[in-house]
Amino acid sequence: MVAVLDVQAGEKAPGRLSQEAVWGLIFLVPYIVLFLTLVIYPVGYGLILGSNPKSYVRLWTDPVFTRTIVNTVVFLGVAVNIKLFLALLLSGFFVHEKRWIRWLSVIFILPWAIPSIPTILSFRWMLNAEWGMLNSLIFRLTLEDGPNWLLDRWSGLGMISLVHIWKYLPFWTLILLAGRLAIPKDLYESADVDGASGLQKFRYVTFPSMRNLYITCTLLSTIMSLGDFNSIYLLTGGGPADSTQTLATLGIRYAFGMSEVEVGVTTVVVALPVMLPLLVLMLRRMRKGEQP
Amino acid sequence: MASVSVEAVRKRYGALEVVHGIDIVIPDGEFVVLVGPSGCGKSTLLRMIAGLEEISGGIIRIGERVVNEVPSKDRDIAMVFQNYALYPHMTVRENMGFSLKLRGAGTSVIVEQVRRAAEILSLSSLLDRYPKQLSGGQRQRVAMGRAIVRNPQVFLFDEPLSNLDAKLRVQMRTEIKALHQKLKTTSIYVTHDQIEAMTMADRIVVMHDGIVEQVGTPLDLYDRPANLFVAGFIGSPAINLLRGTLRRDGGRNWVATDAGIDLPLGGNAGGKDGQAVVYGFRPEHLALGNDGGLPVRVDVVEPTGASTFVYADLSGAQICGVFTERHGFHSGETMHLMPQLDRVHLFDAGTGHRLVG
Repeated sequence: MVAVLDVQAGEKAPGRLSQEAVWGLIFLVPYIVLFLTLVIYPVGYGLILGSNPKSYVRLWTDPVFTRTIVNTVVFLGVAVNIKLFLALLLSGFFVHEKRWIRWLSVIFILPWAIPSIPTILSFRWMLNAEWGMLNSLIFRLTLEDGPNWLLDRWSGLGMISLVHIWKYLPFWTLILLAGRLAIPKDLYESADVDGASGLQKFRYVTFPSMRNLYITCTLLSTIMSLGDFNSIYLLTGGGPADSTQTLATLGIRYAFGMSEVEVGVTTVVVALPVMLPLLVLMLRRMRKGEQP
Repeated sequence: MASVSVEAVRKRYGALEVVHGIDIVIPDGEFVVLVGPSGCGKSTLLRMIAGLEEISGGIIRIGERVVNEVPSKDRDIAMVFQNYALYPHMTVRENMGFSLKLRGAGTSVIVEQVRRAAEILSLSSLLDRYPKQLSGGQRQRVAMGRAIVRNPQVFLFDEPLSNLDAKLRVQMRTEIKALHQKLKTTSIYVTHDQIEAMTMADRIVVMHDGIVEQVGTPLDLYDRPANLFVAGFIGSPAINLLRGTLRRDGGRNWVATDAGIDLPLGGNAGGKDGQAVVYGFRPEHLALGNDGGLPVRVDVVEPTGASTFVYADLSGAQICGVFTERHGFHSGETMHLMPQLDRVHLFDAGTGHRLVG
């Protein structure tokens, strides 16, 4: 009744907000303030910093930058796809309802759950060419020196991708596992009766049911991996000689290593023309939901 | 087409046995319904026949072949699932042709078989639709079409109508029965709905707690239930059951209830004098007596149009009567009802078994 009376009162005095609307605004204020200070301001400031044309000229004439673009594309293309493909396969293993598989999945999730810095640093030590665990083993077994894992552009990027996959594979496996669990069991039983082999069940039942999820995961993982700073910075630091930088780490190099803050921000802005369409595409897919 | 035989089949999950040695022989071309309450093991038995559950003991044969170790796809069966299990990303046509495609049939064969099945089930106009574009009844029909296309030895149905509304269920059960009369493929049909069982089956297998209570034609089960469970399960409204003691005195037999009512029996009743028994009569086997019948007080009258259900109190026990004539009963009034003596069932109160005279 009170609300009804208020609305009527509001109608009688045009131009004045009803009590309900005033309260609504009061509740909105904290969110608006947070949004302005934590989203609009930093993004806007970043765009302003990244709007100096000289920065772009500086970037495009810097061979490190062009190499970084190639590195980023290779890293995303290889790491994201291998990671999701493995996640798709592994989710097929973890979907089995056995007790030991449940326990194994807890162990499997660990790389994702524990903090990056100690784990990635220990990879770095393991891969050290002179005294790392891996090369020590190789030397003991073969009496030959192992490869310089982190001291070459492509093997460095390879190791970065490996660490990235090791770190994030559990997460995507879990997501795809949830997708698999949502497929009705009787579809598989029906396929059994129809005469489908294991591979045919994957081809005709599992994958079609998961295709949308898989594509959405690939998009999301691409966006997230583009921002993966830890795997690169902690493993190779972008080196040797800036040969394994990606866009995520290059900005830091310019901004803090070389004190060129504007150029540093510009490296991030450069990724926007690729990032934004991906984001829009993904949000659209998610809104559309599951459609065959 | 083939016969199916189930010999001493058991199913255990760990230490828990849910199917305790079942024997059923289903001749070629018969439509058998497995019926029973939830958890009686009927779906488990069907799934063992289908090859979707391992068999813990016993033998299942399809035709002459023991299929215990034969994978589902090689048993030459087709199954209709409760939730239809249509492949959501395939059209009706692809769904129906899928099993033939997997078996490497040529395109012309697939096209022809799908066309034939679609014609039988009036699905021809829906072939290019996806399952989500179909109504429940249409999906159900596609699921059956998928089974027909294969031309299997045996059809297995796992509660295929339970997701449909009441009207559609009645319509579909007639269609399934008509389909069986046309194709004459051996069919095993699982349901918890005794009306479905009665209307569709050549023979019914009543299951309860993992055992078979009785196997027989629908009217066998209705007219001569082997025990109290079958008597109570088959028939709607349920049979009236009253406990009492069998009395024999000269040529006269009756059952004396604890409430002091004497229930009349025909001359050929089985059992001994003094035996604790359960006296059963179906609601539709009551006649309006004048003064000679059992005096009851009418509680509730439910007219359904075709017949009238009367719930009445017989010295503390509630009984139900069904009358097709319109008598104009009123709640609160007393009337006299007489069970048809040749339709009265008598069971041993201890074992629940039917007493045969």
